[in-house]
Order: sequence, then C-alpha cells, then structure tokens
Amino acid sequence: EKKMTNDHLKKLLVYCMLCCTQKIIVQGAQTFQTKVALLRHVEPNNPKCFAEGIRDLTCFWEEDEERAGSAKQYSFIYTYQNENSSECNVTALPAAGGRILYFCRLSQTQLFVPLDIQVFRDGLLIHNRRLHIELFFLLDPPVNLTVKRTEKQGQLKASWMPPPLKYLDDSMMYEVSYVIAGTQMGQVEEVRASSEVILLGLQPGAKYSVRIRVKLDGVSYNGYWSAWTDPVLMATLPGDLDPLIVSLTLIISLILTLLSLTVLLSHRRFLLNKIWPVIPNPESKFQGLFTVYGGDFEEWLGYSAGGLCLRPAYFYSEELPAPLEVLSEVSLDLPSSPLPPKAKQAPGEDEKLKRIDSLMERWRETPHEHWLMDQLRVLHQLPGPQCSQLESQDAYVTLNAQNHSGEEPLDDILEETLPLQALFASGRTCSESHSDLGSLQQSSGSGRLSTQSSFEYPNHTWPPKGPGYTYMAVADSGVSMDYSPMSSSRIDYMGKGVIYTNEYRNEIPAHRQPIPFAF
Amino acid sequence: MGNRRAKGRNGEDPVRDYVDSDMEAPRLLTLLLMLLEWTRPGRASPLRPICDLRVLKHFIEEAKDAEAAMLTCKEGCGLPEPVTVPQTKVDFNVWERKNAPEQAKEVQSGLWLLSQAVGSLRGSVTDATLHSHIDNSLRNIFSIGQVLRSLNFQEYPPPGVGVSGAETWRVSSASELLQVHVNFLRGKVHLLLSNAAVCQQGGS
Repeated sequence: EKKMTNDHLKKLLVYCMLCCTQKIIVQGAQTFQTKVALLRHVEPNNPKCFAEGIRDLTCFWEEDEERAGSAKQYSFIYTYQNENSSECNVTALPAAGGRILYFCRLSQTQLFVPLDIQVFRDGLLIHNRRLHIELFFLLDPPVNLTVKRTEKQGQLKASWMPPPLKYLDDSMMYEVSYVIAGTQMGQVEEVRASSEVILLGLQPGAKYSVRIRVKLDGVSYNGYWSAWTDPVLMATLPGDLDPLIVSLTLIISLILTLLSLTVLLSHRRFLLNKIWPVIPNPESKFQGLFTVYGGDFEEWLGYSAGGLCLRPAYFYSEELPAPLEVLSEVSLDLPSSPLPPKAKQAPGEDEKLKRIDSLMERWRETPHEHWLMDQLRVLHQLPGPQCSQLESQDAYVTLNAQNHSGEEPLDDILEETLPLQALFASGRTCSESHSDLGSLQQSSGSGRLSTQSSFEYPNHTWPPKGPGYTYMAVADSGVSMDYSPMSSSRIDYMGKGVIYTNEYRNEIPAHRQPIPFAF
Repeated sequence: MGNRRAKGRNGEDPVRDYVDSDMEAPRLLTLLLMLLEWTRPGRASPLRPICDLRVLKHFIEEAKDAEAAMLTCKEGCGLPEPVTVPQTKVDFNVWERKNAPEQAKEVQSGLWLLSQAVGSLRGSVTDATLHSHIDNSLRNIFSIGQVLRSLNFQEYPPPGVGVSGAETWRVSSASELLQVHVNFLRGKVHLLLSNAAVCQQGGS
C-alpha cells in the first residue's frame, strides 16, 4: 500500500509538473507573440532582435507565404567582434496575414561588444545587421502593480515589482499612466530607478485607472518600451469642502439672488405683459355696451345715440360718415318750365297729385317715419360730443335760407333752397352747429357738390316755415354718399307737390331726375 | 629640538645634560617612523565611498560625445600606431564566476590601458574640439580610478608595457579606440561599481 501511495504521489507530481510546464510554455508563447507584435510596429530593420534578459537574444523576420520556404533554407550567422562566426538554428511559425515568421534564439550572449548578424536564404544574403545586445532589451511588464490611497486628498500611491533582472535594477525607467476610468483624461509620469511613485494632483472622489510599463534608461543599457500592465482601478479620497469656499459661495449666491429679485420686481409689469399679456378689453371703445346692454352689440347699436355716426365709424376706418338732412320745400305748383337737365318735368298735374297722395300715405304708414323722427329726436337730445361728431363731418348740405314761394321752380328748391324747418320744429337742444346740418350751400349752376366741401346753414335766416319739408339722411363714407329720403311729421304739405330727390355721389350729377318718393 | 640652544659653532658648547643624551635616540627613531609613514607607497587616506552611479553615467555620456565627435573627424585624428585596449565583452556566465577582486583587477588593468591609448591619441590629434574631448576622457579615467579607490577595491599595479592576453586586443583607429572606451565604461566598470560590496551595505 505504501508503494502504491508513492506511485500515486509520483504520478501526481509528474502531472502537476506537466501542467505547470504547459502553462509556462503557453504563457511564454503568448509573451513571445506579444513581443513580436510589438516589435513589428516599432523596429524597421530586419532581422528584428530583442533581449529578454542579460543572457539571451531573439531575432526574427517575416516573409510572405509566396516567397517563404522551409526553415532549413535559412541560415542565421552571428559574429562577435574579434571572434569566429557561429550559426543559430532557424525556426518557422505561421504568422498573421498569411505570412511566415522565422526566428532564432541565442541562449548565451556577450554584451558590450558589437555583434554582426547575417541571414542567408539558400546561400543568398537577405539580411545583414550590426548591433549591441545590451541596447535591445525588451523586458516583461512589471508585476504586482498595487495602487493605494494616501492620507491626503488627490493622491494615489502606486508600487510594483520590477522585472527580476540582475544588474539592471538601477538602469530601469518606468512610465506610469493614470487616467480617469472611462475617459481619456489622464497623464503619464516617468519614474527612474524606483519601484513606487506618488501620483499628485488627482481629482478628489474620482476613480483612476493606473498602468505601467518599463524600459532601460539608455545610459549603459537601452531597449524598447515593454507592454503595459493590466490596469488597476482605485478611487481617490472624496474632496472636503473648504469652509471659506462654501461661505463665499453662499454669500455670492445670496447677493445674486437679491439682485435678480430686485430686477424682477422693478420690471414686473413689463415681464408680466410679456409673459402673460393682458387680453385687450374693448369696453372703453364701446361705452355702455357691457354696462348697459350686457354685451348685446345689436341692441347697443340700435339705441346708442352715436349710432348714426358711430356705426359707420366701425365699418370705415378713415372718415366717419356724416348724416345729412336735406330738406326741400315742396311747392304745390308744378314747375312752369321744364327742369334743366337736372330734373324732369312731372307728367300731368292731377295725376301727379294723386300719385303723390298715395305715395305719401304709404310712406306715412311705414315705420320709417317713426324711425326717422326718432332719429331726429335723438339727434337733438344728444349731448355735445355727438353733435361735435356731426359737426366734424366734412360733408353736409347747406340749404339756402331764402323763403321760396310755391312759384319757384321745383328744381331750384331741390337744388339749393330747402329750409330746415323740421329741425327747428323738433326743438333743438344742440348747439348751433346743428344748424349747419342739412344746409346746402348754393353752388354753381352745375350743381356739383364735393364731399370735401362744408356746408353752412345760416340758421338765423331761416324763417320757420310751415310744415311740409322733406329731408334726406345722407351718409358719407368718403367714397360715396348715400342718401335716403326722409319725411317729417307734417307730411300733408308734401302731398301736393312733387318731391324731387337727387342722388349725390361725391358730386351731384348734371342731370337730375325726379324720383318719386316712396312713402 | 626645542631645547637645543641656537648657538653658533664659535659659541661655548652648552652644558650637556645626562637626560638629553639618553632621549636623543628615541626622538630620532620617532621622527624616522613618521617620515616613513607619510611616504609609504600605495596607501592613501581612506575616502568616503562613492556609490552614486550618476557620476559614472556622466563619464559614460562624455565618452559617447567624444566617440560621436571622432566619427565626424576626417583628417588629423588617427592613431600614430596600433594600441592595446581591453576587451569589453561581458559574458555574465563568465563574469559571475569571477570574484570581486578579480573583477576589480580586470577593470583597473583596462582603465590603465585605456589611459595609455587615449594619451597616445592626444598627441596625434590636431583638432581643438577633439583635443578637449580627449582631455576630458583622460580626466574621467583618472576619476574612475579614484572612485574605485573609494570603494576599497584593492589597487593593482598596472600591467607592463606590451602586455597581451585574452583580456586585450589591438586597435588601429581612433574611432575604434573611443568605442572601446565607451563599451568598457558601460560594461565592466559599471558592473563593478554597481555591485560594490561597500555600496550594498547601505553606504553613501
């Protein structure tokens, strides 16, 4: 049993050794591949040589698969100064990109003396190089990289084990790379002849990724930078708030807040208007619309005293239309002579009177009469502003104050000489300016009338005449003047005569025709 | 001596004391020993060990500068005759088999050969810049000797003229000579100083 146990132990030991050896071989192969890949980029000459220690040298070169041959076709000849040549066995390995890697490894070397290397392929020299081995070190990366926090903020202490190479300790230099994890923000620090370093000026409370690589300092020995170690993460101590900075920050914030509030309060109305503009209230433009009529616009229009003059104002922005009353004194006698082109002579007298009577009766019955009278009544009852509005109208008709008899031709009466007895009769409460209404200034024979002309009614020259006046309401929009015939309450007198009305459209047309009054 | 009167020969002889005649011999003996002690060869006053290798690195850099300057020289910079120089190659398997004294002897011998060779080059170089480099190299070789002395390495007599062996070879060009100078300092001298026992014990 004891013998069996020993056998088992031996087998186990051999198995472990094989595993370890295999592991070492695999690691060595990986290391070799890593170094080959590293040198492939930094060394332009062939063969590319590197020493991993003070007793070895590895040289390699690559060739395309097309030109490559077997390893036996190649000869690696090396010659130290003042010595005989020696040959190294060449080994071939497959490389990336379909290439073949040929390498030779010397296990016993001489430093500080020139070495000549020659590579032959089938007796033909393909590579030739002279070098000093101590200047071509490619070391393994440092091991056991440890990063610790120090007692101070913004500091980390990194320590490592240098490559275990005798005689080279004091000739090694290191490069420590530390970046904030996940970013590219970092620095590189060089360390010579030491195996630890304190990293200063780091951000408090940040996680750093630290890695390191090694190279010889180039005085007695030289070589290439090794591969980087695996990064080690470590966070720095969180930063303490400086009381002075905190207090200053608070004071400045308070001052800025007070300033902002002051500015906001001083411009609060402006800002409120900008942010939340007030909805315009048209109530000021429509007096009594909301307070009296509860927002009923139609009702307000119908009963507002300034309806005649205000209503056109909201339709026409430029000029307010002026109501025009044209009163004509109707004569019972028909004009003896035919009217000038402005008016036509009436047909037969009897027929005419009959027609007029019928028209007048019809007209009397229409509600227009009441409405017109009401308009006139309201017009007189309005206070000054409305009157002044009427007064401000440019276009109104001035009638001649002459007392025309019935013999006068009707056309003359229609044109110019129509007293405003109805206005006088209703009781004028307005100012004298009302007397100007409805007066038609005698114009020239052409009878042209401009909307821009003003009319005056010399009220004092108008004797109150009897009833029987016709009048017209004129609405001047500035573009056209609309005339609507009206009548007074004393319509009886008008029934006997022909009522002539003229249509004025900015200018009185040359030809006027009697328009039978519609009652 | 202080007791002896400074009387001339015509003066009366001083009265000799019995004590003076008995103490005169030891005095002479003491004086002789002191003189011999001062003039004893090969023994200097102990120096503080120079373990800082930055000194050697500085010498190596200056040797490299001299070598680089020599490469640019085309005329008036040759050796009058081939000179013997030390071997610079270091096989660590062989080097480690040697003990410290052997290593020190090899280094001292090589430094002496180099000083002789560079000294002969100094006489044949006409370029002023090269002259300064060569003078600098000679001073550095002497300083390295001082450093070795400070590290308590045993001093060995220089090899005789015309010595040859496995540790020497002959060069015929100035550039080869200065290259040997650089390689020797970087190699054997550096190895000897960096592994000096005095410095390993934590000396300065």
